[in-house]
Amino acid sequence: MSWQAVARKEFRDAIRSRWLHGSTLFFALFLGGAPALFFGLLIPADLRQVSNLFGFFADLGVFSFSFPGLLALILGFVALSTSYGSITEERETGSIKLLLSLPNSRLDAMLGKLLGRSAVVVVALLVGFFATFVVLLGTGTGLQIGSFVPQIALTVLLGVAFVSIGLSLSALADSNREATLATMGLYLVFAVLWGSVSEGIPKLLNYTAEQVGIGSLSEVLRVKIGVFLKYLNPLKTYETLSAQVYYGPEQARLVTTTFGEQAILTPVLRESIPFYFTGWFLLLILLAWIAIPVAVGYRAFEQADL
Amino acid sequence: MSAIELDGVTKRFDDVTAVSNLSLTVEEGEIFGFLGPNGAGKSTTINLLLDFVRPTDGAVTVLGHDAREESVAVRERTGVLPEGFDVYDRLTGRAHVEFAIDSKDVDADPEAVLARVGIADAADRQAGGYSKGMRQRLALAMALVGEPDLLILDEPSSGLDPAGAKEMREIVLAEAERGTTVFFSSHILEQVEAVCDRVGILREGELVAVDSIEGLRAASDTDASLRVTVGERVDDNVLSAVRDLAGVDRVDRDGDDALRVACDSDAKTRVVTELEARGVSVTDFTTEEASLEDLFLAYTERAEDVEATGADDETDDEMADDETDDDEMADDETDDEMADGEVANEPDEAADEPDDETAEDAEVPR
Repeated sequence: MSWQAVARKEFRDAIRSRWLHGSTLFFALFLGGAPALFFGLLIPADLRQVSNLFGFFADLGVFSFSFPGLLALILGFVALSTSYGSITEERETGSIKLLLSLPNSRLDAMLGKLLGRSAVVVVALLVGFFATFVVLLGTGTGLQIGSFVPQIALTVLLGVAFVSIGLSLSALADSNREATLATMGLYLVFAVLWGSVSEGIPKLLNYTAEQVGIGSLSEVLRVKIGVFLKYLNPLKTYETLSAQVYYGPEQARLVTTTFGEQAILTPVLRESIPFYFTGWFLLLILLAWIAIPVAVGYRAFEQADL
Repeated sequence: MSAIELDGVTKRFDDVTAVSNLSLTVEEGEIFGFLGPNGAGKSTTINLLLDFVRPTDGAVTVLGHDAREESVAVRERTGVLPEGFDVYDRLTGRAHVEFAIDSKDVDADPEAVLARVGIADAADRQAGGYSKGMRQRLALAMALVGEPDLLILDEPSSGLDPAGAKEMREIVLAEAERGTTVFFSSHILEQVEAVCDRVGILREGELVAVDSIEGLRAASDTDASLRVTVGERVDDNVLSAVRDLAGVDRVDRDGDDALRVACDSDAKTRVVTELEARGVSVTDFTTEEASLEDLFLAYTERAEDVEATGADDETDDEMADDETDDDEMADDETDDEMADGEVANEPDEAADEPDDETAEDAEVPR
């Protein structure tokens, strides 16, 4: 197994890219600047707790905004950009022939790339969180280590998941152009379209059930299906898990839901949390977003002629 | 055990059969030259050895391992200089060699390997700034890491100046001395002649000959070329009469006072007798041994002689294309695989090619 060699090569290569320098700088400015602005200027000293920014969720029913959600959007974009060309570009330049002339199996190549590129994203992210840390200390903000550190870990996992997604697109695509378009399309789905689709599916199921004469689905079931589908989106999985580290699972499962969904879901969650809404299950979903894309990509790459 | 064994190997891409029912054995310790015009399937064959592409049919065994199932084991003991590759622009030369050392899991000094291929002074520069010749040397350095048992070199001297090509030859010979099997492809004949124990000639995906160079000479029916000096210009009908003789391949005028005849050895006297019988005064004649160039053309052209005669213009165009391709390695592969039967038809131009490349690829960083 020589995936370490590939990972090292990937890291050394990517760490010299201007794109990475740019995104590291961006993370440093964003993750340092936002708390500096928030805790340094906007918030009175007695309210300076990490949760007030990194656990900031504003729910306006039709429109919700959260700081973790924004971070997830940015991180998803950066991570995809770091990885979507990792195979197609090597194919197009021909450097893949050097990579695979050496005794690296295609599995080594996939795993090495996943690790190397993830390391690059994680380094950029950690530089950013280091800036946050400095600002938090400087402004005398409560660190809430027990919540903040798990949230950083979740952020790292989300970054790796999107590296894995980009890498699989790179393995599946025939050309760099195709990989670019697929990545842009998929990002659009995650960032914008997923919500509407996951709200539409229960309605469609309900309609189908009525048509075939099984009778309509209960409202609770429809909401459960809709919210569950929503949390399959890695961006939303991350968001709700981030909320959980600060506010516990019951409240966290309601972030990013609509008022209608909240009204129906609240009593259900209060009674007992179904296993598919537990933190552990959602964490499993996030991990699946790391494992499954890279596995699918590997299958395609394994079969392909160079 | 043989180093390379291809048994009835066929590789079809969507619309092209790149290699067709190819069987070939290369013994351990041999230097084997794989010859053929661009598009003959040389690179595809090498890609099959390395599991870059998978055979449609047939079995490929390298160093006793199945090339598909045990590819990593094959590549652990094989050094490869691929064709149509590129370096990692942002990594230094040293980092490339370190990547090879890491991947092969061996102990080696990057400095020493780079010195061996003559680019030690550029070790700490990013390879993106290397000239094509330097990139070629860098890939050779990566191939040499870990003292491989088999070296596979695909068009190794492309991008190298004559001095570079000579160094490459010396390295190949030194490796062979060590007992390494060397398998290399080329469309430049001088190189093959200089180092190879045996050669195989590939044409349109089929192996048309495998033998030592002497063996090829003996087997080829254009093994001799006869130069006949005559008193006056010879009529066309006399030419065609000579052409019709048994054992005569071709007859051309060599100026007004000489003829050049490609024929079997035993047909020589018949040619001279025929000329004299037709009233041509033969003042002198000499026999020249067929050059490898002639052999190569004889093998690669044969089918085309039947198919097309007036295709000279087209061939010239294709030659021009070839020279451009040598500059753009990435495109090379596609051309190699897709273009069917581009034959280097003009002996003079083909012979000039190494020099042409020299002019274009002086060893200065871009």
